[in-house]
Amino acid sequence: MLPKKAHRRSRFESSSMASTPETEDQKPKHRPIIRIGIFIIAHSFLVSVVCCTAGVVALLLLPVLAKKTHVSENALMPGSASPMIADRDVFGANRFLNELTSMKLKSKRTGIEIPRLIALHMANLGGEVSYHKFQNQENKFHPLHFFTSQDAGANRVNRTCESYATNTVGIIRAPRSDGKEAIVLVTPYNPVNLSQNEVLSLGIAYSAFSVLTQVTWLAKDIIWIAADSQYGEYNSVSAWLKDYHTPSFGGSRKLHGNGCHKSNDVHESKLDIIETEVSDTLRHSGTMAAALVIKVANTGEEGGQDTLNIYAEASNGQMPNLDLINVVSYLAVYGQGFRVQVEKLVSLLDSKWLKFIGDVVETVGIIARSLNPQWKFGIPVKEYVEGSATLVSSLYNQALGVPTGSHGAFRDYQVDAITMEISPKLSSTSKGRQTEFLFRGGRLIEGAIRSVNNLLEKFHQSFFLYLLTSSNKFISVGVYMIAFLLLVAPLPVLAASLYSDANKSNPESENEPFKSWRWLYPTKTVFLIHLWGAIVSLLPYFIYQIPDSQPTSRLLIWASLSLFILTVLHSFFKARSVQWALLKSVTVSTAFVGLCVMSVINFATAEIGALLLVPMCLMIKPWRVAGKLHSALNLVLVIIGFPGAAFSVVKSAFGFQEGSTLVEFWYWLESLWAWNSATYIYICMVHLPCWVLCIYILLHSCL
Amino acid sequence: MEKSPETTPKKHPWFWSSAVASILLRLVLIIYFPNTLNFSSRPEVSTPITSLRRLAEGYWLKRSSMSPYAGSMYHGSPLLLSIIGPLTVDRSEGQSQLLCCLAFVIADLITAILIRSIGQLLQGADIQSLKSLGAGRFSKISESFPSGDIASLVYLWNPLTIITCLGYSTSPIENLMIVLSLYGACKRLVPLAAFGWVMASHLSLYPVILIIPLVLLIGSGLDTPPRKLFLQLTDGNDYKKTTNGSLHLTNFSWRRVVLFLLWASAWAFYVLVLCGISIKEYSSLGEMFKRTYGFILSVEDLFPNIGVLWYFFAEVFDFFRDFFLIVFHINILFMVLPLAIRLHHRPCFLAFVYIAISSILKSYPSVGDSALYLGLLGLFVNALADMQFSFFLFSGYLGTLLLSPVMHNLWIWRGTGNANFYFATAMAYACFQIILVVESVSSMLNHDRALKKLGNTTVAKKVQ
Repeated sequence: MLPKKAHRRSRFESSSMASTPETEDQKPKHRPIIRIGIFIIAHSFLVSVVCCTAGVVALLLLPVLAKKTHVSENALMPGSASPMIADRDVFGANRFLNELTSMKLKSKRTGIEIPRLIALHMANLGGEVSYHKFQNQENKFHPLHFFTSQDAGANRVNRTCESYATNTVGIIRAPRSDGKEAIVLVTPYNPVNLSQNEVLSLGIAYSAFSVLTQVTWLAKDIIWIAADSQYGEYNSVSAWLKDYHTPSFGGSRKLHGNGCHKSNDVHESKLDIIETEVSDTLRHSGTMAAALVIKVANTGEEGGQDTLNIYAEASNGQMPNLDLINVVSYLAVYGQGFRVQVEKLVSLLDSKWLKFIGDVVETVGIIARSLNPQWKFGIPVKEYVEGSATLVSSLYNQALGVPTGSHGAFRDYQVDAITMEISPKLSSTSKGRQTEFLFRGGRLIEGAIRSVNNLLEKFHQSFFLYLLTSSNKFISVGVYMIAFLLLVAPLPVLAASLYSDANKSNPESENEPFKSWRWLYPTKTVFLIHLWGAIVSLLPYFIYQIPDSQPTSRLLIWASLSLFILTVLHSFFKARSVQWALLKSVTVSTAFVGLCVMSVINFATAEIGALLLVPMCLMIKPWRVAGKLHSALNLVLVIIGFPGAAFSVVKSAFGFQEGSTLVEFWYWLESLWAWNSATYIYICMVHLPCWVLCIYILLHSCL
Repeated sequence: MEKSPETTPKKHPWFWSSAVASILLRLVLIIYFPNTLNFSSRPEVSTPITSLRRLAEGYWLKRSSMSPYAGSMYHGSPLLLSIIGPLTVDRSEGQSQLLCCLAFVIADLITAILIRSIGQLLQGADIQSLKSLGAGRFSKISESFPSGDIASLVYLWNPLTIITCLGYSTSPIENLMIVLSLYGACKRLVPLAAFGWVMASHLSLYPVILIIPLVLLIGSGLDTPPRKLFLQLTDGNDYKKTTNGSLHLTNFSWRRVVLFLLWASAWAFYVLVLCGISIKEYSSLGEMFKRTYGFILSVEDLFPNIGVLWYFFAEVFDFFRDFFLIVFHINILFMVLPLAIRLHHRPCFLAFVYIAISSILKSYPSVGDSALYLGLLGLFVNALADMQFSFFLFSGYLGTLLLSPVMHNLWIWRGTGNANFYFATAMAYACFQIILVVESVSSMLNHDRALKKLGNTTVAKKVQ
């Protein structure tokens, strides 16, 4: 509630400032807090400059302020038990891999055969096996889905049987529990075109599953989903989760295309034996404590060590509990000798200015240490640069609001999940190497599951709101919020000072009765522009109704429709000419409210948005009033402030230029609304209206 | 605080068109988005007292010959059950909700019309008394701003009212009863005022405290500047303005007040008899009192809402519970008397202040209560012309009302926040409401002071 407080105080001041000239006879002695506020407003320019600079500096210092991670939940006890995975588990996994590989080579109808084979092996290990058939749900933009739950099956169309994909789900019932909790393992694979990496990931899951069927300590059920990813990894998992969480009584089998069942059931006699055990109805277990998505990537660029990449970002910048990442990376580093990595922006690694900042930080740290050895400040340049690259990538992924893998589907059901992408050091196909790899992967999975198995409650001890700067360093919400708040703090101060100035310096206002309500007129303008923003955000829904159009033409239709509506709104509601200062004051305070609300929904979006919006809002002035240099600066800020321009500038700055910018921008937006990202709403309902209002102020004909 | 864009100070044929537009907006939202806008599940909109879902449940229980209060689902009045209950029965797909919503739309419209006529009465009285005081500047302002129109449009276009209307909550009806009693008292229709007061108190208990402004209204008439000013004006010199000035010096009419009390007790008796009849077979009046008023007073339901009590009573130790219950409820009563003494010459404004205070401190507040007092605030737009902090309060209301669902989502659905997040917005909301009340009262007092100063100067002129 810090922003509110600051905001409140400063507004408080503005009005008391406005009232001071009226009580002319004796100057009232204000309370100290009010006097502080008046002081701040009187020096609003200085405050703005200082706060903004401090905000940017704090943002740059975040990698330095990162803390080391630690496992906070005592019950987890990672690595306290010795792994139980044995030769026979890995041997079985090897055999399973060979069967998969040979089937891949010889059979054409792998799309049906492979789930069958996996089911057979699951059943042989002692799991309860079931198939989960699902249809490909297209990510369609629907404006109201941001605010409401999607109505299940509303737009289900009759499709051919080929559009069904099959997840194979195996469940181990825990011997020591009542089946109310579960841990999920996911291995995405594409049965139509099975790659060697997917085979390996299935093998790792197999070895872990194999050992887990034999252990006595399980307190939570284990669910292994071999997720059919021919329609995307995310879709398969989210379809399964949706069916898992929406209990259906009898009707489900009809929904899932019973008619197609027959055609699929034309199978070879070899696998007939297990047909009795595999059911098509979805089998349930308890609530999920955690989920691990296992993937195997191609060989890492530098040999020497196996690498584990952790992906954690779910939709709208949500992260799993930090403890889950901690447990996995602790086990990977100290137990199995993996090198653990988090995604980072590689192009930043050799950027000059980042190195320069890193140098400065290091020097300051050395000087500080020479003054007092107790001051442990500053980190080496390399660490700083890597931390920043990771932080930028983490911020970008969170801001995008698009999950970085199929773990994102779990977060929508409050289940903590991460993707573990293991890349082996050599792509040798030698038998010994493969066995060792399976051993290590299996041990890692077993250890992580054993830790989670110890949990008595949900994950709650550690952080949910954090940014990673490396796999073992994080910045908690309490630290990164400071940077954000410093950045946005000038907005209410500026709004207050503009408001009080406008009220004071208006000559004809002395006798005007509704002096303190004059903000209603600019508010009307601002409200209309925000209404326009809301309409603009809904337009793509209608544009999609136009068949067969190119991205470029869609984008152009969108832009022209938006402009048209803007002119219509402008001509319908002839705005009474308002003082630009009041208008700017209202604009700035709406921007502040919008940024604060967004910072709660998705911090990263708000931070990036604030970096673009705050300078623009602070600097903007009608060109008639401002000097030439100031106007030129305003123009540059306004041009960069437009979302499309900002997008292309950022893209070229980080060197991702590929294809036409327009098309790319359209696809980027498309991905935002396809994933129901709140960033889209932010852009259309906060950023764009503020930008339009800034242009309006810039062109204001202050009479 | 949400001023509609239509409130421009011109002549007002636009009142009806924009009122109809607001009704049409509601109908469009009801008909085209009946389920997508799920406001009824928002804790800010429907409370255990006002939720229509609970009412439907109670009606179902009653129809199956059980006590509607069985199982702690329904806590409203049995009369509401008989009137709105039949509308909730699901005849065909979605039909029931439509009927209920129509009822609420009509209630909103009637409330707005009543507010408008209250505003016109108030404005008339205001102009008259200002003229008699010789405060030309103020009376000119009063004439130019049709406060009744503004108030009723603020009520109709307030997003909070619209959300409440769409949110399947019975607060539009409670609001209607409160406004009805005020209207009756302003018009000096004693039976109507008594009926409104009895019904409003019956439905939500807190309007009981409105008896003071109602008695003042009925006894001494509409809002006027302090009586002292008129006395000063007549005493200061021999300047006699018998025609209008003396009109306001009429004494407190005890006869009407007694009549009001008699009518009120008659209505109360009648309502109780009706309640008794309607739940005779399943339950008793004693249970009704326990399950409605008892439920309100003892804060049994600790589900989160925009009030501040749920959090406190979820945390407090059990053996302190009774003590704090008394403290919190006395809190409202403590403010009743001082305010009544200070603002006795402005009974309508007093009623506004009481409604605002009770909606801050009541046990199950909803945005519907805020909608009512924000609408009533518009009635005093002329007196509150110099109100401070108006823009600050507007931004604050906007910010908290946007933040509240987000925090709720963070706590309940995402699981990354906790109860403190949501409670923080509830506290901020309460703070803004308190600032609103404090500022409006102080600017009303300032207005009176300005009139007094003006009176002094005119008296001085006359003396010279």
